[in-house]
Amino acid sequence: MIVDRRLLPHLDLPLLGAVIALSLIGLATVYSVTMDPSTGQPGPEFWTQVYALPIGFAALLVCLVIDYRTLTQRSLFLYGALVIALVAVMYFGVVRGGSRRWLALGGFTLQPSEFGRLAVALVLAAFYGESRRSARSLFELASGAILLGVPVVLILNQPDLGTAATLIPVYMGIVFVAGLRTKWLAIAGIVGLLLTPVVWSYVLADYQKERVVTFLDPSKDPRGSGYQQIQAKITVGSGGLFGKGFGAGTQSGYGFLPVAHNDFVYSAFAEQYGFFGVLVTLGLYLIVILRSLDAARLAKDRVGAFLVVGILSGFGFQVLYNITMSAGLAPVKGLTLPLMSYGGSSLLATLAGFGLILNVRMRRFTN
Amino acid sequence: MLTPGAYEDRVNLQTRLLVLRIGAIAAFGVLAISFWLIQVLQNRRYEELAINNHLRAIPLRAPRGVILDRHGQVLVQNRVSFTIGINRELSEDLNQTVEMLARVTGADVAKLREKLEKHRREPAFRPIPMIEHATDPQVAAVRAREFELPEVIVQIMPTRTYPAGSLAAHLFGYVTEINSTQLEQPEFAGLQAGALIGQAGIERAYNDRLMGRDGSRYVIVNSRGREIRDLPDTEERPVDGQRLQLTIDLDLQRALEAAFRASGFNGAAVFMAPGTGEILAMTSLPAYDPNAFSGGTDSDAISRWLDDKLRPFQNRLIQGRFSPGSTFKIPMAIAGLGERVIDPNHTEYCPGAWTFYGRPFRCHKEGGHGVVNLRQAIEQSCNVYFYKLGDRLKIDTIHAYAEKLGLVGTTGIDLPGENSSLVPSTEWKQKTIGEPWYPGETISVAIGQGYVSVTPLALATMMATVANGGTRVTPHVVKAIHNGTDWTPMPPPPDKGRIAIAPEHLQAVRDGLWLAVNGAGTAIRGRIPGRDVVGKTGTAQVISRQGAQAAAGRTDLDLRDHGWFVFFAPRDNPQIAGVVLAEHSEHGYFAAPIARFVLETYFAKQAGEPLPPLPQDALPPFWVPPARAITTPTGAGGQ
Repeated sequence: MIVDRRLLPHLDLPLLGAVIALSLIGLATVYSVTMDPSTGQPGPEFWTQVYALPIGFAALLVCLVIDYRTLTQRSLFLYGALVIALVAVMYFGVVRGGSRRWLALGGFTLQPSEFGRLAVALVLAAFYGESRRSARSLFELASGAILLGVPVVLILNQPDLGTAATLIPVYMGIVFVAGLRTKWLAIAGIVGLLLTPVVWSYVLADYQKERVVTFLDPSKDPRGSGYQQIQAKITVGSGGLFGKGFGAGTQSGYGFLPVAHNDFVYSAFAEQYGFFGVLVTLGLYLIVILRSLDAARLAKDRVGAFLVVGILSGFGFQVLYNITMSAGLAPVKGLTLPLMSYGGSSLLATLAGFGLILNVRMRRFTN
Repeated sequence: MLTPGAYEDRVNLQTRLLVLRIGAIAAFGVLAISFWLIQVLQNRRYEELAINNHLRAIPLRAPRGVILDRHGQVLVQNRVSFTIGINRELSEDLNQTVEMLARVTGADVAKLREKLEKHRREPAFRPIPMIEHATDPQVAAVRAREFELPEVIVQIMPTRTYPAGSLAAHLFGYVTEINSTQLEQPEFAGLQAGALIGQAGIERAYNDRLMGRDGSRYVIVNSRGREIRDLPDTEERPVDGQRLQLTIDLDLQRALEAAFRASGFNGAAVFMAPGTGEILAMTSLPAYDPNAFSGGTDSDAISRWLDDKLRPFQNRLIQGRFSPGSTFKIPMAIAGLGERVIDPNHTEYCPGAWTFYGRPFRCHKEGGHGVVNLRQAIEQSCNVYFYKLGDRLKIDTIHAYAEKLGLVGTTGIDLPGENSSLVPSTEWKQKTIGEPWYPGETISVAIGQGYVSVTPLALATMMATVANGGTRVTPHVVKAIHNGTDWTPMPPPPDKGRIAIAPEHLQAVRDGLWLAVNGAGTAIRGRIPGRDVVGKTGTAQVISRQGAQAAAGRTDLDLRDHGWFVFFAPRDNPQIAGVVLAEHSEHGYFAAPIARFVLETYFAKQAGEPLPPLPQDALPPFWVPPARAITTPTGAGGQ
């Protein structure tokens, strides 16, 4: 046994159980929406997901057995590896759908940006958690922001606004628990508000502006980007209390709901299982978040607590945003739902992240 | 290993983690409430939107009811027609497909291209109809090339068909797709664009029974609109239209149309059972072909008919109004006898003209008829006899009798668009013209001129009333309705009143009418030996004599007078009554042979004898007046 036997009682089984349950529910939903109704056979996406699951849990196990402090101490190496990988994507990346996000590794492809959250969380936890540094001074805030900024710019360049956006909550979560002054929080809020028009004019691309406009008024473009939002709402709303049943979704089954296995997997799920299914999965996600916060609370050191909060912030932001979007209540953005959406790299990175969170709680009493 | 300040750090960290915890619970609470609002509270709305997304109703056309004659012979039915279309999803090169299709079917490439352009914007899964009502050889040619042209498909469409072409066109009417105005009318509530409805005749009057109810079949379509699968459980079968049995006798109808067409005249005619008002045959000429509206809509023919000055769409029998001329002497005689102004033996002297209110009124016979009694006055159509009778009767009495006999207002036939007939009264003139009635005007009315204006059907109803002894029956064309399981007789419409006519009076009028056909009268060409046909001719002035002189040579319209022949037979036990109006025939002399041929057919059929062969050209013996644009009248009207 590579793990010290004494650590096992401290493994957070409810958290692990909820993670496994959500990933299996996701797998079933991917099965149902990619299924060919004439043959009853699921699509290739399902099989990718089937292969990705055990690999993901293997990654979880790896991240669990290595003491997280070993990882945070070497976090700069990992961070450097991420930056190199992202730069490699710039030059050798595989282009799909207009974006250069993937690296071809032998028979399969890997999306390095999905591991950005982990690397950034590790390096920031180490940066703020080690020694007496905290996020009180502006210099410390800015140093962390630079660590965040490098991968964000590289990912934005792919372009992949959604994934880049998920890195920012990692930084914000860590600096928040690392003692960010309330004053700075307020200033950040005001600056953010003031910057909105600047961002609108100079940062956002036309297609992104269009998405925001059609979110505010989907009827402006009912056939274009408003279409997805309208159809998502119809999909969720027609599910009712108990849903239409496994594989019986009409919106996802007949192609009215776009990318039902990926960005809108939760809409498809809500259509099939209705409000009760929604309550069950929301409950599972909430268990995952609350148990993870417990892990942060119980962590034996600041590094562990910050690491948990960093990973969890990225995860929580993505979950909340995607579920809100899947009900047609947020602008459509290419953000997947962690644990449930199709996507091997995403699943791998997410499960590895939970390996680290479990790791922190398990080692609360070790030295 | 606590460093200074570590305790504070710890407390601070715990507080911030608590903030995150509360934030997470609040956010998930809001999410749950949002989903509850959408999924539970607004479920009905979104469910409907989802159903509208993927369910399409495909209409299943209910076949229109078949129309039969009184003996069960098919008059109007449905046939399948074929539409050749292109399924664009299967075509690799549309241009090539169209060229191939044109070569195979012999259709015009340019026209096919035009069709293609017209439908190009429609969703690709919907086949484009290229050749509607394709001929059998075209269908066969396409089917034989199934493998070379898989994108060319043949669709079956139900089509209304009138096997006898323009025969009784005005009786049957025609069907077209419902127009936008009609879609908003309550009569057609529940119908959708594209529904076929009757636009005239029986098709219109009995549209709700003939139409049946379209069914529908639901299919699931995907987001591109392509059918994925049927939902057989949700299919609503169409309810077939009800079958109608008419009072029409197809053999009589054929005889009438053939005889009328052979005569070369336009006009109208009707034959009815005087006891019940059942119409046995009716026509209006010129006619259109109702197939032009349903058998591959022939817009050239339709616009030609619409532009035709002879107005083929008008049903002259119920919509045309004409002065009855001398046929009006029949109600005059009944009024005179009924009011005891005259008796059957009353005589008048006819010197060839008579002066009333300082104006001379002429008889048509130069030198006059001499002394004539009522029977002779009817037989020879003496104007002077009826001028004098009219002068004594007064206009309102004439109006009252004409109304009881069926010459005022509508007859109430179960066909749409009937016009009212008019016999004037003092009240009518005051109301519409705003002038009092002048007694001199009554003199013209006495021989069916002046303001008198009646439809041929009203005149036929008058003849039926005289034939049946005084009951004003309501003419009708539907005898029974098949509701899907069995035939239900159509209750005959109620009579429109009754006039008591003394038997000796009735006999006198019938005798006069018998003499007109069988004696020295003007209707000798209506005579059938042994059948005691009784009748009367009349002349309907097209324009006044002064008008004719003024218009001489200045119009291309035919201004010659119309000829009437009204009749029933046999005299003492009438079974059939009716009217023939031959336009511009100048004299009932030419209308009578048309009636005679139909009556011969009627009696032959009754006796079980072979029917007389249909005339091909003119009815022998027959004389057609040389065509003239204008006739300068030489004699008085009313012969």
